[in-house]
Amino acid sequence: MFESLDDPIDVLTAFVDGAMRPIRFRWQGRVVRVSQVTGQWNRRDGQAVYRHFAVQGSRDDSYELCYDTRSARWRLNRAWSGPG
Amino acid sequence: MILLVDMDAFFASVEQQLHPHLRGKAIIVCGDKDRRGVVTAASYEARPFGVRAGMPMREAQRLCPHAEFVEGNPRKYVEKSLELLELFLTVTPDVEPFSVDEAFLDLSKLGDRGNGYEAATRIARGIQQRIADEHGLGASIGIGPNKLIAKMASGVEKPRGLTVMDEERFQGVFWPQKVQALWGVGEKTAAAFGRIGILTVGDLARAPDPVLEQHFGVVGPHLKQAAWGRDRTPVTPYHVGVDPKTMGHEVTLPEDSRDASFLEGTLLRLSDQVARRLRGDGFTSRTLVLKLRDFRFRTITRQRALPVAVDDHLSIFEVVRSLWRENWKGEPVRLIGVSASALEKPGEGEQIELFTRDERKLALQEALDQVRDKLGEASVVPAGSLAYRRATGHVPFGAIHRKDADAMGKGDPRVQRRAIQERLKGRGGYDQGADLSAPDPTQLKPRLDRKPRSR
Repeated sequence: MFESLDDPIDVLTAFVDGAMRPIRFRWQGRVVRVSQVTGQWNRRDGQAVYRHFAVQGSRDDSYELCYDTRSARWRLNRAWSGPG
Repeated sequence: MILLVDMDAFFASVEQQLHPHLRGKAIIVCGDKDRRGVVTAASYEARPFGVRAGMPMREAQRLCPHAEFVEGNPRKYVEKSLELLELFLTVTPDVEPFSVDEAFLDLSKLGDRGNGYEAATRIARGIQQRIADEHGLGASIGIGPNKLIAKMASGVEKPRGLTVMDEERFQGVFWPQKVQALWGVGEKTAAAFGRIGILTVGDLARAPDPVLEQHFGVVGPHLKQAAWGRDRTPVTPYHVGVDPKTMGHEVTLPEDSRDASFLEGTLLRLSDQVARRLRGDGFTSRTLVLKLRDFRFRTITRQRALPVAVDDHLSIFEVVRSLWRENWKGEPVRLIGVSASALEKPGEGEQIELFTRDERKLALQEALDQVRDKLGEASVVPAGSLAYRRATGHVPFGAIHRKDADAMGKGDPRVQRRAIQERLKGRGGYDQGADLSAPDPTQLKPRLDRKPRSR
């Protein structure tokens, strides 16, 4: 099942051809390598813009990350914690 | 020739596309899986168990306990819908988004490339292939000489179906079906047809005009034309734009409630959301509608026409509260909704209230709108709606999750302050992303333009 979270995380990010892409992030003391970005979308709240990324880890793990463009901070919104 | 592209189990498919481990599994997209509410979408793997959109969550859990329940995210689906719109626009400029997961494409201006069923079928297959290749999603497409036939054809074969129909085939397929199979005929109209012996689409097609007019007014003969597969409604390209007919918000409460102050706080919050949307798109409303559903799932709607058009939350709230007080008998309430109809743009027939217009109130309203446009919907809210927001975890400047609220202790401000500080240091307790304005996903339509706030 998906666990809803709102955890601040550190993310190593690549900026290529005007696009940003999370490469790996640290969560709960371990480093998760992003093997694939499966989708992205934006959300606005007032003038704040949040960039959301759905990503795959190296195994069957799946996450949704959110980048706050105002504060330049990342948060982990959801993580797949195995079959419910 | 008209195409209707209908995305298959759209919300569920987007989740499966974003999260590969969900592919091939029964998944149910919902509002908040820890709360009540209804199923927003079910994947095709969940449907054989009887799970359908609109079904109460408890029922869906009973029917399909092994399903994955995924909280929906309207923004995600609208973004994907806009990407699909871009794809459709590479085929023809005449695209009418009909909902977040459906769009009409008019091929008539493509000349020989879009003429005839064969050419349209070729184009439709190309669209299906691109949707699969570029987005990993499935779509069913209906092809017909008009919007009605294209729309009804799209539902004949799913998922990833392609159905071509002319008027003759339409009659062959739909005339034996129940009259509610016809686009535009709901349960109540079907029951009214049943009372005069019209049970099938074919019965309606053969019914005498005077009988239909007598019972249904001008709508009767119009529906009879539809039963023959006739429809002259044009495809309205998205760039032309069509003004909405209504704007509304509704909410399924965390639990059935008979607490009058909580329920009125909820009404105030909904009135505020409706008012914000009205002003955001430059509309005023002359008719307000209250919707109530009780614990037995009985739903009533009551409306009131207004002598002057309104767009502020207090005016809307006063009217819907009055409707509420007249109609609520004290039974537990499951769902409340507020909507505005008879929309008009100021200047279009508006009786300007020269002597009653309160300039200070308007200036305050505009200032508050500017604050919320800049800082977000939850930055300033009507105080009266706080009871509702606290109960559901929505408070200004973000939401505190219920577990955090419990951890913070009740009553002792020192305990609360310390708990908040802990949360801010640790696993971020404040959800700055609380999106109170997020619309009901089932009523979503991709927003293609943002008109300036004006009065």
